[in-house]
Amino acid sequence: MNPAVQAIGLTKRFGSFTAVAGIDFDVPAGICFGILGPNGAGKTTTIRMISCRFPPDGGSLHVLGMDVTTQAQAIKARLGLVPQENNLDEDLTLLENLELYGRYFGLEGREARRRALEYLDFMHLSNRAKDQVKALSGGMKRRAMIARAMINQPDLIILDEPTTGLDPQSRVLLWDRLRDLKGQGVTLLLTTHYMDEAQRLCDELVIMHEGQIIDRASPQQLVERHVGRWAAEIQLTEMVTVAALKNLLPTGLRHWEQTGSILHLYADDDELLVAALQRTQHSGYQIRPANLEDVFLVRTGREIDE
Amino acid sequence: MQQAQSLPQSAARPQVRRRLHLPRFTRRSTAVWLHEFLSWRRFYKSSVLLNFGEPVLNLIALGWGLGAYISQMGEVSFLQFIGPGLLAVTAMNSVTFDICYEGFDRLHRTGLYTAMTSTSMEVEEVVGGQMLWSMTRSVLYGSIFLFVLLLFGLIESAWSFGIIVTLMLNGALFSLAGLIVVSVAKNYEHLFYYFSLIITPMFMFSGVFFPVERLPVFLQWFIQALPLYHFVEMNRALVSGQVDASILGHVAIVLAMIMVLALFPARLLRKTLQRL
Ligand SMILES: Nc1ncnc2c1ncn2[C@@H]1O[C@H](COP(=O)(O)OP(=O)(O)OP(=O)(O)O)[C@@H](O)[C@H]1O
Ligand SMILES: [Mg+2]
Repeated sequence: MNPAVQAIGLTKRFGSFTAVAGIDFDVPAGICFGILGPNGAGKTTTIRMISCRFPPDGGSLHVLGMDVTTQAQAIKARLGLVPQENNLDEDLTLLENLELYGRYFGLEGREARRRALEYLDFMHLSNRAKDQVKALSGGMKRRAMIARAMINQPDLIILDEPTTGLDPQSRVLLWDRLRDLKGQGVTLLLTTHYMDEAQRLCDELVIMHEGQIIDRASPQQLVERHVGRWAAEIQLTEMVTVAALKNLLPTGLRHWEQTGSILHLYADDDELLVAALQRTQHSGYQIRPANLEDVFLVRTGREIDE
Repeated sequence: MQQAQSLPQSAARPQVRRRLHLPRFTRRSTAVWLHEFLSWRRFYKSSVLLNFGEPVLNLIALGWGLGAYISQMGEVSFLQFIGPGLLAVTAMNSVTFDICYEGFDRLHRTGLYTAMTSTSMEVEEVVGGQMLWSMTRSVLYGSIFLFVLLLFGLIESAWSFGIIVTLMLNGALFSLAGLIVVSVAKNYEHLFYYFSLIITPMFMFSGVFFPVERLPVFLQWFIQALPLYHFVEMNRALVSGQVDASILGHVAIVLAMIMVLALFPARLLRKTLQRL
């Protein structure tokens, strides 16, 4: 099967600033693909090119087998988009919003309404269908954006930070729905700042940083490749400084990384960490399995501090 | 492009149209119209009052107030003279302010144009839909004013029904002009430039209050270039029933202006949408 998205040397500049610097990646059809990266990494810019908002300045980009520079209209017809900022019409009702959106795709009125009701139900919003959007909570609006993105029964749904600002329940509901969609064969492409989200949802990930892709793998591979299986967090104090600890660190550590007042140690073997920490005679620590958050810290952490 | 030349005419035509970025009227454009209608329906009470109240007050103040001093304009009363002109102004304003404020909001604040063009809708269809809505608005608010003229006893001819056509042209023209302004405006202030440097002077110079023939010839030429002037002249002829071939000239000029204006909004809007 064709990849849902295929980018080669994809580039975007704003004036003299290069926001996306010649990235190569492809999103296999039917999977959930994640783009991670700190603020300003170029995630949204990449997504805007994929969703045909503006053309790339360099490289080639195919979406659902079509070229974004010549077949934008045909691509958009098969795409569902949940942008980073909600853009529902706050003055209209939820149902009106979705129905109109269906009509923008050329659907007939009755079909647009049928789908609007169906997808509002899918996103647990049926009871708010007749409410003005401005009366809804942030989480409901976000869910409504996803229902709206389904209206043209897309092959690819692109979600730019779908759960930012949502409470834990809403996030879990949303994850469930996204898994359902994937089960129906829809390809998902999402960006997120939440590592637990990426770990749960994504089959494959890329990490973007300063306009470049610095890594690509499954969540588990990324963790094992970059930080090892275990992490220790040590609370630094005036007494317990990095300089003081440095001499005590055992060999065999995969990484160490300071973020604010916390020192992270990574290793494949948890015994090694326990032994090391006992030697410091400092009680402010915890040992846990390493996760994507740690990968993120190690790969892009220093720059965030700057 | 080389391909287009070898294709039969019917297939080549959309290519040309695409390159000209002319507004398009499709099923999807009617969805844009529907969106406008649903938004309007929610606020129509205040909106009708505003668009209706002001011109009626103008009519009363200018017609009866000033009219007490200027009782005759040639063969007709002052009120009879300015009534059809004020109708044209009302229609122009009802379209202009709507498309400028709402359009600017949709482009820059609420992201609705971005949402619309994330679907399979093209910018040309958005422009087409906006034109349809402005024409509707123009006919709606203009007709209300026409009814007021009737109440004032100022309608003298069945030709007045023809004003529906001038109102449609008015809606088309000023929605295109407004969309051009919206697409290039960076902030609300730029909209005010348009209102106070173009729309308001046009209101003063387009022969609403005085017969243009009295002016020096070079000014008359200048006034010919103002679309509002042609609407004022057409409406005046239709209301009084003194219709002759010159009305066709006005129609032709207005159509030509619409054609020229139609080349720009989709082009500019697309560019701005890409830069947001
Ligand atoms: N329209 C624009 N004009 C100028 N610069 C822009 C524009 N859009 C984005 N940029 C710049 O491009 C870079 C990448 O921005 P982008 O929005 O893609 O980041 P992101 O990875 O989505 O970040 P976040 O996590 O904060 O959403 C940033 O430095 C941003 O300032
Ligand atoms: Mg972003």
